[in-house]
Amino acid sequence: MEQRVNIRSMPQEDHLLSGHGACAGCGVAIAVKNLMRVLGRNTTVYVPASCLLIFGGGMYPHSAFDVPFLYSAFENTGAVISGIKAGYRRQGKDVTVVGIAGDGGTFDIGLQALSGAAERNEDVIYVCVDNEAYMNTGTQRSGSTPFGAWTTTTPVGSRVKGKRSFKKDLMAVVASQDIAYAATLSIAHMNDFVQKVERAKARKGFRFLHIMAPCPSGWKADPSLTYDLARLAVETGMWSLYEVEEGEAHVTYRPKEMLPVGEYLKLQGRFKHMDREDVEALQAWLCRKWRMRYAPSQPPLDRTDDLACDGDGCEGA
Amino acid sequence: MAAQTIAEAAILEGRQAQAFPFFGAERRGAPVMAFARIDDRRICDRTQVAEPDMLVVMDASLLDIEPVALGLKKEGCAVVNSPMRPEEIDLGVVARCVSVDATSIALEHLKAPIVNTAILGAMARADAFVSLASIQRAIVNRFGEKLGERAGSINSEAAGAAFERSREGMCRGERKMQRGNAWLPTWQETPPGVALGRWERGGMAVGPGSMRQNMTGTWGTSSPTYTRARCIGCQRCWFICPEGCIRRLEDDSLEFDLRYCKGCGLCAKVCPKEAIAMHRKGAGA
Amino acid sequence: MRAVRALTGNAAAAYGVKLCRPEVIPNYPITPQTIIIEQLADFINDGELDADFIPADSEHSAMSIAIGAAATGVRTFTATASHGLALMHEMLYAPPQLRLPILLVDVNRSLGAGSGIWVEYNDSMPERDSGWMQAYAEDAQEVLDMVIQAYRIAEDPRVVLPFMLCLDGFILSHTVERVEVPGQEEVDAFLPRFSPLNRLDPEAPMCMNMAVSPTHAMEMRYQLDRQMEGARQVIAEVDEAFGKAFGRSYGGLLDTYLMEDAEIALITLGTATSTARVAVDELRAEGRKVGLIKLRFMRPFPHEELREAVKGLRALGVFDRSVSFNRFGPVFTEVRSSLYGSGVPITDHIAGIGGRDLKVSTFRDMFALLERSASGGRVRECTWHGLRGEM
Repeated sequence: MEQRVNIRSMPQEDHLLSGHGACAGCGVAIAVKNLMRVLGRNTTVYVPASCLLIFGGGMYPHSAFDVPFLYSAFENTGAVISGIKAGYRRQGKDVTVVGIAGDGGTFDIGLQALSGAAERNEDVIYVCVDNEAYMNTGTQRSGSTPFGAWTTTTPVGSRVKGKRSFKKDLMAVVASQDIAYAATLSIAHMNDFVQKVERAKARKGFRFLHIMAPCPSGWKADPSLTYDLARLAVETGMWSLYEVEEGEAHVTYRPKEMLPVGEYLKLQGRFKHMDREDVEALQAWLCRKWRMRYAPSQPPLDRTDDLACDGDGCEGA
Repeated sequence: MAAQTIAEAAILEGRQAQAFPFFGAERRGAPVMAFARIDDRRICDRTQVAEPDMLVVMDASLLDIEPVALGLKKEGCAVVNSPMRPEEIDLGVVARCVSVDATSIALEHLKAPIVNTAILGAMARADAFVSLASIQRAIVNRFGEKLGERAGSINSEAAGAAFERSREGMCRGERKMQRGNAWLPTWQETPPGVALGRWERGGMAVGPGSMRQNMTGTWGTSSPTYTRARCIGCQRCWFICPEGCIRRLEDDSLEFDLRYCKGCGLCAKVCPKEAIAMHRKGAGA
Repeated sequence: MRAVRALTGNAAAAYGVKLCRPEVIPNYPITPQTIIIEQLADFINDGELDADFIPADSEHSAMSIAIGAAATGVRTFTATASHGLALMHEMLYAPPQLRLPILLVDVNRSLGAGSGIWVEYNDSMPERDSGWMQAYAEDAQEVLDMVIQAYRIAEDPRVVLPFMLCLDGFILSHTVERVEVPGQEEVDAFLPRFSPLNRLDPEAPMCMNMAVSPTHAMEMRYQLDRQMEGARQVIAEVDEAFGKAFGRSYGGLLDTYLMEDAEIALITLGTATSTARVAVDELRAEGRKVGLIKLRFMRPFPHEELREAVKGLRALGVFDRSVSFNRFGPVFTEVRSSLYGSGVPITDHIAGIGGRDLKVSTFRDMFALLERSASGGRVRECTWHGLRGEM
């Protein structure tokens, strides 16, 4: 059996070093710093176009990664890490190869290369640090942006307010390819976080880690709220924590009760324009997702229950 | 934003103006530059401004990092965001100086340390090249349109307050100004392949891990204080700190390296024992 | 041990690749290239070649995989054509500046709407600004030989640039010819083990390709420009060394045919050169002083060699198999710019577009126009040969 690491026993050496240029309170920095602590020195990092490329990969001649680092484009993370791993394999070098992409680089433009690498069962770790918009270019909507959210390309106008479609369930798309290991992570669930990275590191074959990474700048929230937002996302069902191994999903943290999504929305400027109707639409969607996640064997008998759902008591049990 | 607004104010007064940022790739909070030119004739020069008539320093901590006043014209004027009086500010050159505590004004009016509108009031005070009234109109135009009427008016009020609370004088010129290390290799010296190892070039570290030289601790407006007696060594703050400022000691207690702290406050937020508290910098702990 | 085989141009490419023992072969099928990767897959699955064969999800990914593998310091190969090359376009700009000597075989095929699967150079010509060396082969033997030469040139410490070898779709890729296949041991002796300039390696970390600001990019670009210029010398040397080792050489950046006393000449590239040779032979038999310049490389471009080759000419024609709309074919533009001030009248001759068959008579028509030009007659700056309707 594998040992259960936690934040007190996890490796302490940094490989995304201090001095990186992320915004204060950056969720991506928290995620990647701890990811790299667990993956360790014998790791090679590929980062596509993203905030992380600029603030961590660096501006020539400096880099915040102290392990081998490569960048080349936006949409090719799955492909480049396949190549790096193949090159190491040919030389008999056993190196952890990780690609760390944002949600735009994963949900949208990088999905094809990701899917190809998953299908070939490449022996790599693909990490999506998800901050729900194209933050590097100044907050444009991505396939990950939640319903209702303001972004610069889903502006709050007099006729249309915010994004009109719901967040893509990327994890389901990737996990459906029957890969070695897939997990969702939250920086607010710290021990769960390091245990999942540890498990991914120990396995062979294609591994996918999907980390929710709040962005104070793009979400229009105070930098000190990054942790609260990550935590509330799970409690409201905007995010859920589970892993998929050999086709089977295991929930690793189940909130005691579902908090109304308003608790999460109200802390963020990107949602402040949302009217009651939109909040209800999002809440209904979340309730459906909640039931599918936490009580998949007990689908609601009466579909109209969904519409009546106000955030409380819709756990599906 | 400040440069664009001052340019808009000049345009409102019927003049020609130009404003542009240095197109860097930095995140929010990192040192950035922006330039503005104002003239009565068409402005053709699109180069960056190296010798300004007016230098605006939005964050006085920059004075310790960059020789910002190196190009300031002799008869020029500096506008500095600082609670200090001009006579207390060492710019590296003796020059006419207007100081204003724009951070406090922004916190009062906007509830956020965003100083780029307040500082405009001090600029109007320093030089009448654009009037406060035009600046306030430009603020309402720019901010009001994007963020709503209220945002326009509170930002405009912040500029007005800064105009009133600005202090005029002469700054000191004692600090030695020299450009920081820059590695500018010739084409022959440039390592082939856009690839760098852990090397020393131009008097500084380059390559993997070399961003460690980037002291991001100057970015923030607040910083944590740590009460060791309350700490239970849970390491939640160590995990959550995006900067890696927190080092774990043998006994699981912590050491804070504030040279990198951007003041996000997450360490205090996740501490279950209130062993960490955030304080505004310069306000005394 | 050498062996004589009947091989298509594509098979010749695959045999050449096998002899060079690449470690990683990312790939994606597209007509008319597919046979190359099929043949390599056969070699690997039959145990004749020890390499990682990675079927990518697209050509964009194939080149991305090649970049990742090459960055760790292993020899890589991939092949594509037409739309595949266009899809790769973004990634083509990385290997030159990263100095990754990847070999790419492009089987030329027309691109875009109004095209089919037949040869035209509008896929590869736009890529000559990407920083890849780019060569065009005339026959299957040259394809095989150039694969071997390409790796040696590309990996030479004085070069270290990626190499794009182009061959004409169908006319060469699917045509069976006599090909002498060199022995493995003689190729091993000719082609040293790949020793990369930089490599990803946790034992000695490097960061490769962070964002580059205006303070450093210009020097990098000029360095690449000089590197490409320096490759000219290495290409000539490698061709000579290849001749000594295998008994065949190709003239380096360009080759000439019956140019010693020629008064008018045509510049060709690819398989067109072969058919043009027949036209030259016929005209020579008729007593005309005509010759042929076979352009082998578009990058580096043989600007000096060309000035030498055209000395004494009274007229020069340039064959183009693609066009930059309203401004001639790209070969013409390059040639005329290189020969600026030489005094030789130069005209452009566009033919074979979309894979239209090139006849011996097509080239005789070109020479007829050149003769008119040489004797002071008026000739269009650019003539489309075989076009229906008045120009």
